[in-house]
Amino acid sequence: MMNRRSFIRKTGIAAAGAFAAPYLLPGGRLFASSGLRKVNHVVFLLFAGGVRNLESVQFNDGNLMTNMLNGGGSISPDILPAIDFLPPGPLSQPLQNYGTLFRQFRYEQGPTGHYNGHTVAVTGQYVSTDLNIREAPRNPTIFEYYRKHNSPQQTALNSWWVANTLGPYPALNYSSDPSYGPAYGANFISPNFLISQDGFDMLGNPSVLTSAELNAVRNIRKYANGVFNKSYTDSGQGMMNSEAEAQQLQQFISDLYAKAQSGQYLNPWGVGTSMNNDMYNVMFAEEIIQRFKPELLVVNMQDVDIGHFNFSQYANNLRKADWAAAHLWSIIQSTPGMANDTVLVIAPEHGRNFNPNTSIDPYGRLALDHTAPVDGVSGDQMAREIFCLIVGPPAVVKQGLVVNSVEGESTEIVPVIANMLGFDANIPGGSGLKNYNQCDLAQAFY
Amino acid sequence: MKEMFKAFVLIATAAFVLVASSCEKETDYLYEVNPVTVQQNGNGKNNAKTTVEFITIAWADLFGSQIPQQDLVKLNTVYISFGDKKLIEDRIILNLLNRPGVQIPSVTNVNGDTLKFIENTYKKLYNRSPDAFEQYYLKEQIRVNTAMTAVVIWYALMSSDEYRYY
Repeated sequence: MMNRRSFIRKTGIAAAGAFAAPYLLPGGRLFASSGLRKVNHVVFLLFAGGVRNLESVQFNDGNLMTNMLNGGGSISPDILPAIDFLPPGPLSQPLQNYGTLFRQFRYEQGPTGHYNGHTVAVTGQYVSTDLNIREAPRNPTIFEYYRKHNSPQQTALNSWWVANTLGPYPALNYSSDPSYGPAYGANFISPNFLISQDGFDMLGNPSVLTSAELNAVRNIRKYANGVFNKSYTDSGQGMMNSEAEAQQLQQFISDLYAKAQSGQYLNPWGVGTSMNNDMYNVMFAEEIIQRFKPELLVVNMQDVDIGHFNFSQYANNLRKADWAAAHLWSIIQSTPGMANDTVLVIAPEHGRNFNPNTSIDPYGRLALDHTAPVDGVSGDQMAREIFCLIVGPPAVVKQGLVVNSVEGESTEIVPVIANMLGFDANIPGGSGLKNYNQCDLAQAFY
Repeated sequence: MKEMFKAFVLIATAAFVLVASSCEKETDYLYEVNPVTVQQNGNGKNNAKTTVEFITIAWADLFGSQIPQQDLVKLNTVYISFGDKKLIEDRIILNLLNRPGVQIPSVTNVNGDTLKFIENTYKKLYNRSPDAFEQYYLKEQIRVNTAMTAVVIWYALMSSDEYRYY
């Protein structure tokens, strides 16, 4: 109930507010960021699938990661026949020279399962029990922190989660925390499934509507939605982009199918048949980088998990993951808008056991599970031992620094990303996140 | 003299009325409506379709048959391969509308007995009859807009909020 005078008064106030609307800053931002950013883009490469320090930074079988790490010597001759050909990497020197390497990073607590490890990596908080893989994380993800607390708020076009498999991983783009959730979620894509022959069969040949027809669709849909008393978001279908952004994404998907159809993904990196799912996943992440220049992108790899059954193929895929990481950095550094303004964080979600299981590969090597102790008695502590490499602009990230002592843990990555993007101070106290100033990873930055 | 007095009285009365009315305090009118319960068609649908329900129902609506298991698996996979389900549903519908064998009415149906087309479309896609206003609205849209083809109408309704519910 409102009388005419108060209606006019309120309308006038609203109109005055509209006239006082903010102006666009250079770069398209509405307001200056409230926090001090170190860079405008962060890419987090989850070097996942369970990577043991013995094979990565400790060179137990020679340097299997020559594109990321200095030194280490030749690959052990007995597994060499299992190693696929890869051309020289795209970087002039190993990635560690562009940043700081923490050789004794830790996944300190909780079960060393892949989903647990991924969840800890994107939420910044340990989980003490095996997770229900059908559920979104209970704690907010880095995507939600970013979209809720970064100023100005950004759409999901700036926030991506790129997973190389399905299973539980689609659930990691937002949490079930009632203060966050899908409204702040990231765009999730599993390109190895979406941009596949099956994907093309189902999505690659849509009806093409004229602009007049699209307008007609909008009119009818708007009318139909107007007389219905529930919205799409009420149906619990997760995050949504605005209509304009959805159109950009539709075009992006169409372009990816077109590239696939024209054979551009047959040998995109010139590595021939060595191209595995991890490499393809990173390649599609690069497509996102080049198209959208996101401020926050998380991409994973998991092909090394073949280590449960075949050690030599684990080593083979570790080399490919290393090659892909270097390629990712080369694309970031050649993408205008992201070059010299991006921090790349690389870390496995967890390690692997010291003690092997009973599977023997054709080269006589025993396979490795990842079962760190959660009850303090059984399990293998080595599954908690990982590394973390942070690379970025020389003015931001210390170049060529190696931290050899046991420093840093998985829960530090989220606060570090928040600090890089300048919104860590906006995250409310009591979130359970580690304070950036208490993070060992902070040593990597000036 | 008598005439002059009459004229004076008239002018004085008119002046008084004018002055009195111009100084009258503005009345605060209250504009209210009586509470009315609005019944909207389709609003009894409270259950969101699951992924599989959405796909199988969309397929059945468009092809008049049960979705082959192989296609269901493929659609289910692409459905979960992208986070924005609304976007993927739109794309699924547009692809299904472009597949051979799709059973949507012809132009003749749309422009011939338009009311019957609208009635059948609502029953097929929304599982209910359109109300009078819905019939009027769509009929008018079809009448004035040459872009209003069967594909356009089916796509619009299948990508609407009501189609997500049963």
